[in-house]
Amino acid sequence: MNELIQLIVSGTATGAIYALAALGFTLLWQASGTINFAQGDFVMLPAFTMLFCMIAGAPLWLAFLATCVAAMLVLGVGFKKVIVDPLIRHGVIPLVIATLGVSMALKTIVRAGYSAEAHQFPAIFPAGQFTIAGVNVSWADLGTLVLAAVIVIALQTFVTRTLTGRAMQAVAQNTDAARVLGIDAKRMVLYTFLINAILAVVTALLITPTYLAKFDMGDSIGLKAFFAAIIGGFNQTRGALLGGVLIGVLENLVGFYWSPAYKEGVALMLFLVVILWRPEGLLGKVEERKV
Amino acid sequence: MSAAGPSHGDNAGKAFLEVREVRKHYGAIKAVDGVSFKVGPGEIVGVIGPNGSGKTTLFNSILGQIRPTSGSVEFCGEDITAMSPLELSRRGVGRTFQTLQVFGQLPVRDNLIVAAQEFQGSLPGRLFAAPDAGLGERADRMIELFRLKHVAQLPAGRLSYGQQKLIDIAMAFMPNPRLVLLDEPCAGVNPSLVDQLRELLVELNRSQGGSFVVIEHNMDFIMKLCPHVICMVEGKVLSEGKPADVQANPAVLEAYLGN
Repeated sequence: MNELIQLIVSGTATGAIYALAALGFTLLWQASGTINFAQGDFVMLPAFTMLFCMIAGAPLWLAFLATCVAAMLVLGVGFKKVIVDPLIRHGVIPLVIATLGVSMALKTIVRAGYSAEAHQFPAIFPAGQFTIAGVNVSWADLGTLVLAAVIVIALQTFVTRTLTGRAMQAVAQNTDAARVLGIDAKRMVLYTFLINAILAVVTALLITPTYLAKFDMGDSIGLKAFFAAIIGGFNQTRGALLGGVLIGVLENLVGFYWSPAYKEGVALMLFLVVILWRPEGLLGKVEERKV
Repeated sequence: MSAAGPSHGDNAGKAFLEVREVRKHYGAIKAVDGVSFKVGPGEIVGVIGPNGSGKTTLFNSILGQIRPTSGSVEFCGEDITAMSPLELSRRGVGRTFQTLQVFGQLPVRDNLIVAAQEFQGSLPGRLFAAPDAGLGERADRMIELFRLKHVAQLPAGRLSYGQQKLIDIAMAFMPNPRLVLLDEPCAGVNPSLVDQLRELLVELNRSQGGSFVVIEHNMDFIMKLCPHVICMVEGKVLSEGKPADVQANPAVLEAYLGN
């Protein structure tokens, strides 16, 4: 029994990291109709940026802050202005293709410009574990869970309890009406891109000590985040959280009780089951489309 | 009600809309073809016409939703032709749409606050300001006025079409606009509420002093509400004047009923 609880706790911690990346997927979709298939590489790039800062002599906290600023400029403002704004008016498909291109470009640039090797990344939480009620919990899992929870609660509070957050919700629900009411929809969408950039940096900070910094590390996290967002419901931020945690926990259980060889297939299997049984996702709402 | 809306600047009290020779052509189709009219301060103008006569396209051309092919729109002496809805909103121009435009997942009260909050405080201030924005009292008065108190905390999307229509209209008036263009406010509203809606608009016109332009198919509603009526047919103004005169015009009757 203790073993099962341990697996669930550590799976929830891993799932919380997937959920942070998945949250970015759903936020961008809700605010601007953007599906970003470079989301995983948006996690990889900050990992290498932080690594680069640390090689230059900066401590981890400073590297993190500098990367947050750089990510907001490049993955937030830059991505929106250069890729999304010119393409979004042509529909979702050209944008999806463009983000796939961005993904390939980022991987190639990092591999060719830096290295194809996997690089160690310092953990932000102490090594070791503690025991509570007979269950061993690692400090890393606890720290990850707490940090992810703080970020999700802060984001939720911002969106539901501030004027700007409510304006962002209004834009996500009905952009035309929001504009008529004087809400600067473009600015609200930009805020969403900035939030997504910061989420990507935090995800990188949490996952890179385990995944190691490698040019293709984003493939796995990006795919799992995408599945998590769909499993939970692409139009619900709560869905992204549920989807992420479900994948994390099931991966752990399958890997331990069945075989680690099947672990990587868990997200795909869960995705297939959910999409067949409930296409709008577990917490998603069926969207009406005006014709 | 207190003035919580956009800054009215030096033009306060001089609300005035002048539409000059506005045209909107889609290839050979002339959706709006040289429409001109004026709206004075505090005036309520009705726009009638059969389906497809270009009323909504005219609204969209005035309000920056679409760029007119030619012509100009002036508001308080300023050329606002093809200005974006956002810029128009900041000048005190609001609108409602034919279809519902409420924010379905937000509670009714939040819908009303969000409709006026962008005119409150500075940009950095709004980033972390309290969700009420000092508009709670105003929203509550509007809820009272539109008799929505019993549903004020429910998500707007869960209410009936008629109730959502009332929210839609209340939202347009939350920023205390100088000019509101209402596109078929009675559409989908229970007939028993139509008189109540008319009284509400008269009350808002009296208390807020704004000018209204109203598109409507409900003749009884528009004849009682608007002292001045414009009838459009095939993109042009067919008749204009007092409601009774427009109604008695044989050309208007022909446009509606055919030969």
